[in-house]
Amino acid sequence: MHVLARGNPFGAGAADRADAPTNLCPSELYLKETAAADEQDRALVRRYLEGQRDAAGGLVDRYQKRLFNVALRMLDNAQDAEDVTQTVFLNAFLKLRTYDPRYRFFSWVYRMTVNESLNVLKRRRRIVTVEDEPDIQAPGAAPDRAAEVEDRVGKALMCLKPDDRAVVVLRHFVAFSYEEIADVLEIPVRTVKSRLFTARERLRLALSEGVR
Amino acid sequence: MLSQDQIELIHQEIDGANTPEGSAAFRSLMEHDPEARALAAELRRVAGLFSQAGEREPPPMLKRAILDALPQPARASPRASLRWAAQALRLVTERMEEAIMTKKTVLIGSAAAAIVLIIAGVVSSWPPGSHEAGTIGGVEQAARYHGRAMTEADVSLKNPEIQALFQNDEVLQLVRSEAFRQVMDNQAFRQLVASDAYRQIVASQAYQQLIASQAYQQLLASQAYQQLIASQAYRQMIANQAFRDMAASQAYQQVMASQAYQQVAASQAYQQLMASQAFRNLQANQAYQQVMASQAYQQLMASQAYQQLMASQAYQQLMASQAFQQLMASQAFRNLEANQAYQQMMAGQAYRQIVASQAFRTLQASETFRSLAQNQALSQAFMREAMRTQN
Repeated sequence: MHVLARGNPFGAGAADRADAPTNLCPSELYLKETAAADEQDRALVRRYLEGQRDAAGGLVDRYQKRLFNVALRMLDNAQDAEDVTQTVFLNAFLKLRTYDPRYRFFSWVYRMTVNESLNVLKRRRRIVTVEDEPDIQAPGAAPDRAAEVEDRVGKALMCLKPDDRAVVVLRHFVAFSYEEIADVLEIPVRTVKSRLFTARERLRLALSEGVR
Repeated sequence: MLSQDQIELIHQEIDGANTPEGSAAFRSLMEHDPEARALAAELRRVAGLFSQAGEREPPPMLKRAILDALPQPARASPRASLRWAAQALRLVTERMEEAIMTKKTVLIGSAAAAIVLIIAGVVSSWPPGSHEAGTIGGVEQAARYHGRAMTEADVSLKNPEIQALFQNDEVLQLVRSEAFRQVMDNQAFRQLVASDAYRQIVASQAYQQLIASQAYQQLLASQAYQQLIASQAYRQMIANQAFRDMAASQAYQQVMASQAYQQVAASQAYQQLMASQAFRNLQANQAYQQVMASQAYQQLMASQAYQQLMASQAYQQLMASQAFQQLMASQAFRNLEANQAYQQMMAGQAYRQIVASQAFRTLQASETFRSLAQNQALSQAFMREAMRTQN
């Protein structure tokens, strides 16, 4: 398995990885940290199923920010992202009895988040018949740099097909490896690469032209 | 011209996914091929843009909202189970009759809520915001719809679905009726539509899922449901001051919002509801007791329409649906129930005339209504044409 070298500021288990021992090679360290994060998830799930409600709070604490940000990047709308995050958690807790602990909890909830976001986009297409094409502005000075970046990122993502956007979001905002993305989206790794490379090519052209 | 393999090599390097051999091949490519260097630089710029974007904090109330809406843990610990079993055994016999009565009350609350949702579905985009043409102004659209304004073409009479509706005599009769006009002009109605609680409900995902669900649509179209809401007993019930007091009471809302209620279809959860402090508070509530004793309530319970409705598959599916449970458990819904404008409108004669009218039932049962309930543009077109028809 290839391992992504770049750090993951808010990916699964990021907080847990920060304190991990450093006398291991990167791939061994990654696997160890991921296994520890998975074990923490499983422990929280087990405690919740045993009736300890505070475990639910623990799982929400671990994932609400990550899932909210994935939904936000998928939908470019904070209210919709909030709805999606809430729906995903409620669905997750309702279905927790059917969750198979052999599989990774974070893959499961990220998958639900992406799927729920895609559902919202489908509904949005039904409701909104006229929608402006997103603008992608060429780089330039702006009074508020952070707001400008946020705006450009949002618009750039929205010009991608939803399926391609999901791959880009999981790669660039959650820093998942190709294999992790394939696991979350339940698609082959070659499809992950194809979608990611195609999406980046489209973004490259759009950003270089600064076109509407 | 770069080959597909070379392009892939560049992408993988940017992702840090190349093997050591792949990275060496990438470095070699960069040294010798200007086109590859240019592509790599541009792709890094794309990746760099994303890395500059910060992570946003979720809304501060999100965690609370999630935890408040959670069902009880699927399986209690052995000690907790024993404690619960002993308690349930003690309570179950003496509370059996009360339980039946309470369940009915809760279901009435649900039916009343469904009626509001019907109206909300039709008028979710009405009145329009001040930036749009409209007869009634002064009320902004829900914030989430900003930036998605429909063009004039979307709301014109050219829409065949709207045309079909207005060719229906009963629908025409409804929109031309004094009752309909009164509701549209009603201050409470306008306050309600402008209220945060109402907007949150209409904007919520649970609501959208609910009105799109087959069970909900079957329920609205069912004869039993239509008979029920048209019945004198039901109209008396929703106009009853005690009923409104009860619906607005904290105890009632606690019960409606309780985790146990959300699993009301499951007997174990229902028993927990019976044993809860919120339920006891409800029982002690004067408004609740008055409702239980009222003639309207008794008549409603005994009516064939009510019983058919309760027994219908569509109703049971709706009650068990996740979207419905999420909606009922949401803070926005509780706020709506407690909203004075909501209560005034529910109790208003004009509103009751509308929901009891044959025309409204025709509208509800129509395919077009289902489209209206799910499509903001159609809903808006319908309301505009309705206002035009009145003038």
